[in-house]
Amino acid sequence: MKKIQFLLGVLALAFISSCSSDTAEIDTEYPVIDITGANAFPIQCSTIERGQTFTFKATFTDNVALGSYSLDIHHNFDHHTHSTEVASCYMEAVKKPVKPMLFINNYTIPDGLKSYEATAQITIPADVDPGDYHFMIRLTDKEGWQTLKGLSIKIL
Amino acid sequence: MKNALSIYWKYYFLLLSLLVSSEVFTQNQPSEKKPEIKELDEVLVNGNSAEKRKKEESLNVETVNNSFIQRNLGGSLMQSLQKLPGVKTISIGSGGSKPLIRGLSFNQVIVVENGLKHEGQQWGADHGLEIDQYAVNRVEIIKGPSSFIYGSDAVGGAINIKPLPLPSQNTFGGSVDLTGKSNNAQFGSSINLFGRNENWFFDSRVTTMDYGDYRVPTDVVHVYSYAVQLYKNHLRNTAGKELDFHLSTGYSGEHFKSVFYFSNVHTKSGFFANAHGLEPRNVDLELHDKSNRDILMPYQQVNHLKVSNTTSFQFRNHAFETQIGFQNNFRREYSHYVNHGYMPAIYPEDMYAPQDLERQYDKDVWSFSAKDEFRIQNHQITVGSNLAFQQNEIGGWSFLIPAFTQFNAGLFAYDKIELNEKWFLNGAVRYDYGKIKMKSHYDWFQSPVSENNQTHLEYLQRSEDLTKTFDSFTWSIGANYNPGKLSLKANLGSSFRMPIAKELASNGVNYHYFRFEKGNPNLNAERSYQLDLGMEWNQQNWSFQLTPFVNYFPNFIYLNPTSAHDIYYGAGNQVFEYEQSKIFRYGAELQTRYYFLNSLSVEIGAEYLYSEQKSGSKKGYTLPFSPPPSVLLGLNYEPQISFLKEPYFSFDYRFTAQQNNIVPPEKKTAESHVFNLAFGSKVKTGKQDISINIQIQNLFNTRYLNHTSFYRLIELPEAGRNIIVSMKIPFSVSR
Repeated sequence: MKKIQFLLGVLALAFISSCSSDTAEIDTEYPVIDITGANAFPIQCSTIERGQTFTFKATFTDNVALGSYSLDIHHNFDHHTHSTEVASCYMEAVKKPVKPMLFINNYTIPDGLKSYEATAQITIPADVDPGDYHFMIRLTDKEGWQTLKGLSIKIL
Repeated sequence: MKNALSIYWKYYFLLLSLLVSSEVFTQNQPSEKKPEIKELDEVLVNGNSAEKRKKEESLNVETVNNSFIQRNLGGSLMQSLQKLPGVKTISIGSGGSKPLIRGLSFNQVIVVENGLKHEGQQWGADHGLEIDQYAVNRVEIIKGPSSFIYGSDAVGGAINIKPLPLPSQNTFGGSVDLTGKSNNAQFGSSINLFGRNENWFFDSRVTTMDYGDYRVPTDVVHVYSYAVQLYKNHLRNTAGKELDFHLSTGYSGEHFKSVFYFSNVHTKSGFFANAHGLEPRNVDLELHDKSNRDILMPYQQVNHLKVSNTTSFQFRNHAFETQIGFQNNFRREYSHYVNHGYMPAIYPEDMYAPQDLERQYDKDVWSFSAKDEFRIQNHQITVGSNLAFQQNEIGGWSFLIPAFTQFNAGLFAYDKIELNEKWFLNGAVRYDYGKIKMKSHYDWFQSPVSENNQTHLEYLQRSEDLTKTFDSFTWSIGANYNPGKLSLKANLGSSFRMPIAKELASNGVNYHYFRFEKGNPNLNAERSYQLDLGMEWNQQNWSFQLTPFVNYFPNFIYLNPTSAHDIYYGAGNQVFEYEQSKIFRYGAELQTRYYFLNSLSVEIGAEYLYSEQKSGSKKGYTLPFSPPPSVLLGLNYEPQISFLKEPYFSFDYRFTAQQNNIVPPEKKTAESHVFNLAFGSKVKTGKQDISINIQIQNLFNTRYLNHTSFYRLIELPEAGRNIIVSMKIPFSVSR
């Protein structure tokens, strides 16, 4: 019986020690991609012209600290991928890609920022296929929470 | 059209069940009164051995038999076992799930069938367990580290599906199982035939299952902010089918027994069409909503074949057992080709893989084990060894894990000492060796690589030729004390798990999650130390069981989401890196039952689990797929009704608390209240009893999310109201 009491004691101790462990607040919030600002570009259904350079603009916020972001432009000629947005845009008919534009780049955000005005210059080559494209923004915070935004855009 | 189909299935089911049952009646009537052949023996044996095992085994063991599974029948084996506290699932639609024991799953929980360790593709959250639940007679669930019995991987626990009991001598019979489910218009049937003369026997089974898209109590789900309209509450393309064969045959004599097992489990099931993992997908609504029974893209097709022989013989006071086995797991995942990252816009015509084949995994496993069990005075000693070799090939246009071969060997000894009638001691030691050899892999497409401001195209190397070896020594000690109505147990043990190919060498983008998963070749074998306690009280009208545990991992292998994005290998996706961190976990399960009357009882089953990462970059966070606390309240009424045998009515209420303890990329899950109703009985028909079980799961069609579902991240609710009718009709042809 003594053995049992001992074991019970060990368990109780383990429980108590674990419960009293440091209860530092952990971050459980996703970062936010805000494209509602007047300068934000592109937004859902934006159009961009070939052979021109445009400036990506969005506001990123997080409750603790932002991490990094990446941008991705790929064709949506087959209508397979869908944007994460509520509003849908007018889409051209399904077509076969010949020389679709593909753009992938990642960007750093200075350490420790809670809010960041992201800007990036992107050049659309003059010889790519025009049509429906997908503009993806992937934003992380320092803890690794990631927010995705998929926008439907058109390259003219 | 849909309504017509479901009505058609309902009537088909009813008609068929009537036909089969009437046939059985006619078969049974002329035969004389004879003792029941297979069923009764099983129940008697089960009841005693399970209780005995519980009293002598210092780990926490729960045993359930096929009548438990029948009464709680879910879409797959693990879903049927979920009523047990501490046992949960990671489920994938209505027909697939994987075990989650005290919050651990994947390669940390092993499944053993007929003594053979089941080897599928356990590492994937959307990979269900390839087991036919109709072929399961008795399952033992070990909630705790059992590496000393099973070797690597049994860190979190084990699901041990016991071999079928042998048919009695000079019998020939069988049974028909029929199941119908309203929610996904499922029809399942399983036909069993067995026979034995004096020493030779066979036991065979064919199971078929066919189900449509399952229904949820909502007509719109939000994949991110994008609203997906559901047609008549059906989760588009979640239909599936299954076809399984089993045969065991052999010889059983007084001192010698040899059994061959053969089984083949084949499933084909669709993934929710509006999402590919986390990516919202546009679908052809007309095509998809034409039928709720067709399986379109994306879908998975899995075949699992097992062949094994178990031979046991007695020599003096030694019981020897050898087992030799082969299994093949062949998994294919089909999806429309979408050029993610730097993949070419148009799929090349001369590719090695078909255009729709996203992933393919082909695993062969050969295994051998031998053990000797003998008694020296009050010591019952078992010594043994296992060897296993596996070969893994990959295919498809998407790369996640490399091809690899693996060799494992283990030696163990354990001793059960019966001090007296009340005290038992258990001790075990085990040594394991493992070697994993991964093959190099290059992308089939080129990616731009920048060096010194120069950009050139390159076929990226995703994995290198890499060989790793691991060895480990594990141990376990425990005691049982059974003074009458009370039983107490305690066990302290260590266990280990060898890192898997995915953890060591993955280096690709998982487009189901938009993440770049990066393996770590420097990982050590994962270790775990656990203290398990058990307290049980059993008296006539009251029983109580409490099973607390404390667990510590000095180096838990964890896929850590970082804040970085990778442009080259990750095609712009978030980097997830395998790391090792200290983990502290504790929890408990409680089960109690009180009988107000002989026929009326109330039961409570509750579970609690806490996990915390004590080091590493996610210090303070929990582990992924942590089940929230839950309580099951059940009311059971088992009246005496003259023409029925063991009738029962039960009403369950499950309260699942909210889960706010999360880790990226999880989401907080709200609490849920779900009610289930079940009733059934055996009907006396001559010498065989037909059993009928009816369940109404999610009685009030409640909309809720399950924190540990594969579909949780895209907010897919759990299945709505589901009426399940199942029937087991045994028959005997001759004796």
